[in-house]
Order: sequence, then C-alpha cells, then structure tokens
Amino acid sequence: MVSKKTTIINPSGLHARPAGELAKICSRCKSDVMIYVGEKKINPKSILNIMAAAIRCGTDIVVECSGETEEEDLELVISAIAGGLGE
Amino acid sequence: MITIQVEKTASEGIGIGKAFLLHKTKLSTEFGPVSQQDIPKEIRRYEQAVEEAQAELAALAESNAIFQAHLEMVKDITLYEGVITRIKEEGLCAEAALHAAAEEFIAIFDSMEDEYMRERAADIKDVRFRLMCLLQGVKVNPFDDIREQVILIAEDLAPSDTATMPAENILGIITQEGGVTSHVSIMAKNLGIPALVGVKEICSKVKTDDTIIMDAKAGVIYIQPDDQTLKKYCQLQRKEEHIQKERLKLKELPPVTKDGKRVRLCINAGRLHDIKKAMEYGPDGVGLFRSEFLYMDNTHFPTEEEQFKAYKSAALLSCEELTIRTLDIGGDKALPYYIFEKEENPFLGWRAIRISLELIDRFKTQLRAILRASVFGMVRLMFPMIISLEELRRAKEILAECMRELEQEGLAYDPGIKVGMMIETPASVVMIEDFAREVDFFSIGTNDLTQYLLAVDRGNKKIAAMYNSFHPAVLRSIRRIIEAGHRCHIPVGMCGEFAGEEKAVKLLLGMGLDEFSVSGGGVLKLKELIREADFREAKQLAGKVCEKQTIQEVYELLGIEC
Repeated sequence: MVSKKTTIINPSGLHARPAGELAKICSRCKSDVMIYVGEKKINPKSILNIMAAAIRCGTDIVVECSGETEEEDLELVISAIAGGLGE
Repeated sequence: MITIQVEKTASEGIGIGKAFLLHKTKLSTEFGPVSQQDIPKEIRRYEQAVEEAQAELAALAESNAIFQAHLEMVKDITLYEGVITRIKEEGLCAEAALHAAAEEFIAIFDSMEDEYMRERAADIKDVRFRLMCLLQGVKVNPFDDIREQVILIAEDLAPSDTATMPAENILGIITQEGGVTSHVSIMAKNLGIPALVGVKEICSKVKTDDTIIMDAKAGVIYIQPDDQTLKKYCQLQRKEEHIQKERLKLKELPPVTKDGKRVRLCINAGRLHDIKKAMEYGPDGVGLFRSEFLYMDNTHFPTEEEQFKAYKSAALLSCEELTIRTLDIGGDKALPYYIFEKEENPFLGWRAIRISLELIDRFKTQLRAILRASVFGMVRLMFPMIISLEELRRAKEILAECMRELEQEGLAYDPGIKVGMMIETPASVVMIEDFAREVDFFSIGTNDLTQYLLAVDRGNKKIAAMYNSFHPAVLRSIRRIIEAGHRCHIPVGMCGEFAGEEKAVKLLLGMGLDEFSVSGGGVLKLKELIREADFREAKQLAGKVCEKQTIQEVYELLGIEC
C-alpha cells in the first residue's frame, strides 16, 4: 500500500466536472483507491461520493492505493489532481 | 375537413404540413412492492436503464461537458449499490429504490453551505429523471420522434422545450394554452414561422400525421383539408414567399421616411442563430439581446467564460449595435437548475433586476462577461424591471465595481459603454425625468408596461381582450417617455411587441421614437411601412391620437377595425 498527500487547486473545489474527471481516472485504476480528507474516507471511483464530500480549493487530501499496480496508479491520480483535473 | 376559427394570432404566416401532437413526458409516481421472485427482474430492469442512459449521455457528452458529469453519475458505484440494496433488502421496485437512493444524495447536497454545490442536487435530479424515463419507457426528450418537417401541436410549450425543439423541422406551432405575448409567440416570430396560441381543444381534435393547414394571418386552421382548399393554400403560400422575396430588395435601403426622417430598425434576439438569421434582412443591429436564453438553455449558471464567448460572438455578428439586457428571469421564465419559491403573484414578485441585486455574485459574473465583450463591437447594457433610482444606482455601482476589478486584472473593456434601462413599470414612467438624467438610453418594454399599467395579466385568457397597448393610458405613457428622453438628449427605443405592430408604426414615428426593435421576421415589413410614411403627417397624427379618450376613438383615427 502506498499513499501521498496533495492539495486541491481547482478554484471552485471538486464540483461536478473535476469530480467526474477524478472518478473517471480512478475507475480506470486496477488497484483499490481511497482518498482521505481529514477524518473522512472517500471512494473516489464514485463521483457522488467525491461531490458529497464538498472538497474546497486549498484542501489537503491523502490518496492511498493498494494492489498490484499501486505505484503507477498513485502517480496517475496525484498528477491528475495536481494538473487541475482538466480545468 | 374540420375548420377552426382562431381569434389570436401569435406569429403570422401560412403553414402546410403533417401534424405532430406533442406528448409531454409524464412519469407515474405510484409504485407497488415487489415479490421475492421478481427481485432479479427488478435488478435487471435497473441495470438495463443504466446501460441505455449511458449510451444516451455518451452521445450528449461530446458536445456538452456537463453531460460528462451526468454520465459519471449514472455509472456511479455508490448510487448503484444504494439502488440494488434497496431492491434486495427492502423489496422496492427499481423506480422506488432509485428514488430513495438518489434522494439521499440530494439531501446531502441540499444541506451544503456552498451555493454552487447546493445546486448540484439539480444534476442528480436530472440523472434520476433520465433513469426514471427509461424505466417507464417514456422519452426524456419528447421531440425525439420528429423526423420530418411538421406542424407542432401542444398543450403548451415551456421555454426549456423551445430550447430543445428541432427548429429546422418545425413548419408552424399551434398551442392550446398561452397568449399572444407568451414566449411561444416570441420564439415563433424569431424563427419566422407561423404560430397560433390559445386554440381551445386543438389537442383532442388533431391526431399525429393529420394534414394541417394553418393560416395565422386569417386565424384559421383546417384539419384534413379537401383538395380544393389544399390547392388554394399552396398557391397562397407561394404568393407569400414571392412577396417576402420582393421585400428582400429593401434589405440594403435605410429605414427612412419619405420626408427624410431616419430611424433605427433593429432586431430582438435570444440566441446566436436568431441574430445570424435576422442579419439576412439588413437590420441596424440588435436592439434587445435576451440574455436569459443563455441561462435557460443551460444545466448550470453559465460561467463568465461561457457568457463572454456568447456575447463576443453576438457582438461580432450584430454590426452597429448590440444591446444586452441583463438576466430577466422569474415571472413566467424559470431555470431548470434553480429552485424559485412558489409565489402568489410571480409577475409582481422576485424577478429580473430584483434577483440580480440579491444574487450579486451571479450579477457580477454577467456584468464582467458583458464588459469584456464590449471591446468587440458596439455593446450597450440595459437593466430590466427598474422601479426606483436606488435600484438603478445600485446596479451602476456594481457595474463600476466590475470595471475596477477588470482594470486591476488587466482585462480590456469599453469604459464608455452605454448603460440604459427598460421602461416597463408604471413607477419608472411616473419618475421618467429623474431616470432620464441618469442613463444613456431608454428602451420601452411594451408587453410588461401594458400589463402593469392596465393591471391585466397577459396570460389570463378570461381578460385577454382587456390587454391592449392602444389603450390611451399606454399611448400617453409612451409619448411621455419619448419626450422626457429627448429633453435629456438620450435616444428612446422600443423592444416590445408593440414596436412591430403594423397599425402603430406611423403613430410611434410621429411620437418621435428613435429605434424600433422587432423580431427578425418583421424587419422588412416594418421597413416598408416606415419608407412609405411621412414624418410631418405622422407627427400630426400622434398629436391627435394622444388626445383621444377611448380605445374605440384611437382605433377610428388609426383606421383599425375591431
């Protein structure tokens, strides 16, 4: 299991469009992906779960991957979030 | 052959074609429980609906990013598990399970502090609606079945319907409800297609595929006409087309009276394609750009960037003038993604500038977008529904704030942008001199002005006959507005239905109206009338008309039969 901390840079936080993008990327990962926001645990393969967490701009989150492809999956998810999820 | 006589014409012209009876999407909301053995069947039904929704949304997502998010929601694993668990453990049918599972998320979003996130509840509702439609085998988009050119027949059309309607396949529109100033009429005029509204029982008299002739000028509808009638109307239609072609020759000529008085002749538009289409008739510009369409045709409040792009394209298309009216919503115009509280009197309620001055962030988004577009053409800005100087001054303050922000950010705008207001409330007429000193132009909105001055609801069929802009109180108000404007050296235009009223052209010319703004389809006819008129004569006529005390006397003077 590997994990890494990152910060949300989207100006309006993870609203519908970036949340959708994140869910799409995480769904493609073969490993199990989890996101921790403070004490909340979110399944990022679910857009509704991401949106329901109301993650604002500047929030620190931890991405955790476990499974065969965990290293490359973590890299993929972290770089997508750092890149603003298509916004 | 059935013949129906209609009193009210919404948009003139002749339409001949097959009928298409629109069935509104109605969902049943009563669900029974599911027996143990039917549970696998319910699960399969739900999975199938999800699959079909995915296919629909994948196609839509190519052109609109918000559908991409809907696509993710439909596929959502948490929602899926929520539905399946409810079917399995609570014995609910697929519809009831979906309703409850989605409701849980809707409640979460509804309770969020962030306004943007609160509105996302609407996206989930949208997705749920799509799935419900598929589960119950009804069409999400009732226009999907239109495959050829038809005459559309409906109980009523909402603004959102007119946004999804395949305009290129609509030869004419007949509705059972609605008045001549409803949005259906406005849209039909913009498209230049005939429309008849308020036609009682039309939906029970017509079947899909019946042959229909509608003559909106004469106010008559023929259902399954005989050969003789059909032949007569085909000839008439060709003649109309010929007249329109002749009028096209006026395109390059200015709207000027015989004795040399030049006025401006502009168009009203709601969408970019309205402008594109109307430019064929050679108007002076766009006298009213109804920005609310940008909001109504959307699944979310349009962002600054989205609005900027639209206004910029509009400015580039509209030659000498583009007058953008800030969001005029409420009344009979709702947004699919924003919940308006139910009001006793929506036309006297929370609408237009009142909304903008409360949702200031939204207002600023729009003002910034308009300002940024102002460097791409002759953009003018106008506020709707103003009743007080406080409102006007507050709106201008916010505008100045936006200008300062743009300056700091180094974004270009036209600092000399003209700022005007609609005159459509009795309060603004009473205080017209005060307003004239604080704006750069007036635009008279006769639809609301008539409704408010006469206290006559323009959607109410029972009193429809009382709604009349030829009422002396309306005519004298119009003259007062124009005179006050001219005393303060600002131009006065008119963008309501009355500006396109053929019988009123001379009168309005005589009162000194500077700009007529009408639907694209009416430009050439109006230009013809202006070019045939004599300004001196018109002035005398206007003087006489304004002395008249009853509608009857006004009609006699203008040669209108009632």
